Amino acid sequence: MIELDVRDVYKSFGGIQALNGVTFSIRGNELIGLIGPNGAGKTTLTNVLDGVYKPTSGEVWLNGERVDGLPPYQIARRGIGRTFQVTRAFRRMTVLENLLVPAMALHPTARKRDFHERAMEVLEFLTIEHLANEYARSLSGGQQKLLELGRLLMLDPDIIILDEPFAGVHPKLMETIYEYIIEVNKQGKAFIIISHDMDSIFTLSRRLLVLNYGEIIADGEPAKVKEDPAVIEAYLGEEEEEGPVVIPAGRLAEGMEEAING
Amino acid sequence: MKRVPLQWILAAGLFILALAAPVLLKDQQYWLFIATQAYFWAMLASSWALLAGYAGQFSFGHIAFMAIASYASGILGRDLGWSPVSGVVAGTLVAGVVGLVIGYLCLRLRRTYLALFTIAFAEIFRLVVNAEIDLTGGPLGLYMDYLLDTTSYIPYYYLMLGLLLASLAFMYWLASSRFGLFFRSIREDEVAAAAMGVHIVRYKILAFVVTSMIAGLAGAVDHHFIGFIAPSELIIGRMSLVIAMAVIGGIESLIGAALGAIFIHFSLEWLQQIPVPASMMPKLIAMQPMLEKIGLGVGERGIMTYAWRMVAFGLLLMLTLRFWRNGLIHPIIDRLFRQRVRKETVAKRVQAAEVASPTTFGGTEGR
Repeated sequence: MIELDVRDVYKSFGGIQALNGVTFSIRGNELIGLIGPNGAGKTTLTNVLDGVYKPTSGEVWLNGERVDGLPPYQIARRGIGRTFQVTRAFRRMTVLENLLVPAMALHPTARKRDFHERAMEVLEFLTIEHLANEYARSLSGGQQKLLELGRLLMLDPDIIILDEPFAGVHPKLMETIYEYIIEVNKQGKAFIIISHDMDSIFTLSRRLLVLNYGEIIADGEPAKVKEDPAVIEAYLGEEEEEGPVVIPAGRLAEGMEEAING
Repeated sequence: MKRVPLQWILAAGLFILALAAPVLLKDQQYWLFIATQAYFWAMLASSWALLAGYAGQFSFGHIAFMAIASYASGILGRDLGWSPVSGVVAGTLVAGVVGLVIGYLCLRLRRTYLALFTIAFAEIFRLVVNAEIDLTGGPLGLYMDYLLDTTSYIPYYYLMLGLLLASLAFMYWLASSRFGLFFRSIREDEVAAAAMGVHIVRYKILAFVVTSMIAGLAGAVDHHFIGFIAPSELIIGRMSLVIAMAVIGGIESLIGAALGAIFIHFSLEWLQQIPVPASMMPKLIAMQPMLEKIGLGVGERGIMTYAWRMVAFGLLLMLTLRFWRNGLIHPIIDRLFRQRVRKETVAKRVQAAEVASPTTFGGTEGR
């Protein structure tokens, strides 16, 4: 079974405390939504989990092995894969080559053609198989997001972290991404989905983590988290203190209503 | 009957021309010498294309690596009596080791900073070579033993051609293997490459080591052919020439960069004195004072261009960078050899568009 344990992780940048004692665990193929106001520490947490940052203190254990402080490529090979808030496709490489990079990194003795078939399957699943020989830079923004998801399937990690997978995505593509998450989750992968799209988060996730000022202020079933006063405070309070916010506070309530009622 | 495709006839023609050059240039030893030098530059430009075009490490240190191997070999021969062959091997290894150190130091430097760092490294190396007269001969240069026991250019010509083809074949294999895939992923996005499991430290350093060794090998062999090396060969202008060759040929194409180097080296030699018909010579001589005012001159057979030929290539470089980012030669190769693939892709795209258009915007109900 997949086991991830994040134990009391702190991360500070100079005087700014980005993560303030984050603790949570994942057991098996959980489907977790990670939400929180802007600047709450969501991306910092992602970067700690995948090795881009070394935590100031605290530990991260993956499947019985301590992984905090390992370089990103080691963590990727051990089973944490991620996408990026701003897509990072290998733009001047073809779609197929993009998919071959993680496959070849993972299998040092394999040959590229051993993975052509698998790569084409992945592209078919993502409905972009006709673009296999195109340069990634010629893909639309949404298609580049799909490409990132495809690369993850080739890396085949236990835990998949998606950073804003729905931002700026056409509804049709959104459905493809939904299907991807549900299907891959069924196959046994755990997901952590970071999103400001409350509809999607409440529709998809079975567990919700709410981060605010680098702390987890709520962790549980979406329906229960929705009623947590601390969560409502975090979202409603933000508008008064910090002026303009990216998600209007009303949107949260709206998304929750829809997700729960309809 | 199946027709042999044009591109293979052209490629075979070029190869046969290269093989037959010593016979064709039997009475023009000078041009055979120029051809040998052109292959030396082609090794530098193509290995730099691998480092900068594939791996994205825009280094200005390539000429320095070339010279490190040459000086190492020359000094080992002079002071320890090593044969040129063992000197070339040792020099190539030294270039590889220095490449490893520089690659390691450059790990965290990207683009502009890498360029500045490697310029500094190359200039410091040149100044040290200039100053350490006891070791390197200083500005007066270092005499090196001849590699082969012959006065003919022909064996050197074939040796350099062989080294060029072997290094191109090796680099082509490298670029089309997993290494090329990793090099390019690092060039495109280091963060994403690492997140996909690519050991970026290893492959960045590997790119430096391999390309430094090829530059070193070319340099050591070439200077054991010329018999002399001096720090004036290490000036930044020579590095710029390597870059111009690769960029004009095609920075992301090993063959393109090699052909670019050969083309430019020959052109530069030819442009030294642009020949004019003998009947025009008196007129030209009459114009000599005027020509000298604008930096040109009159030679025995035509117009001497001096620095102007460099200006011409500087302009060509600028125009290439501005208008033909893939270089001038690479697109031709690409067109000749990839046409079939491209047609296939275009056909697929058309097909995909036809399939996709009725449904793309149809699946939004219920959202």
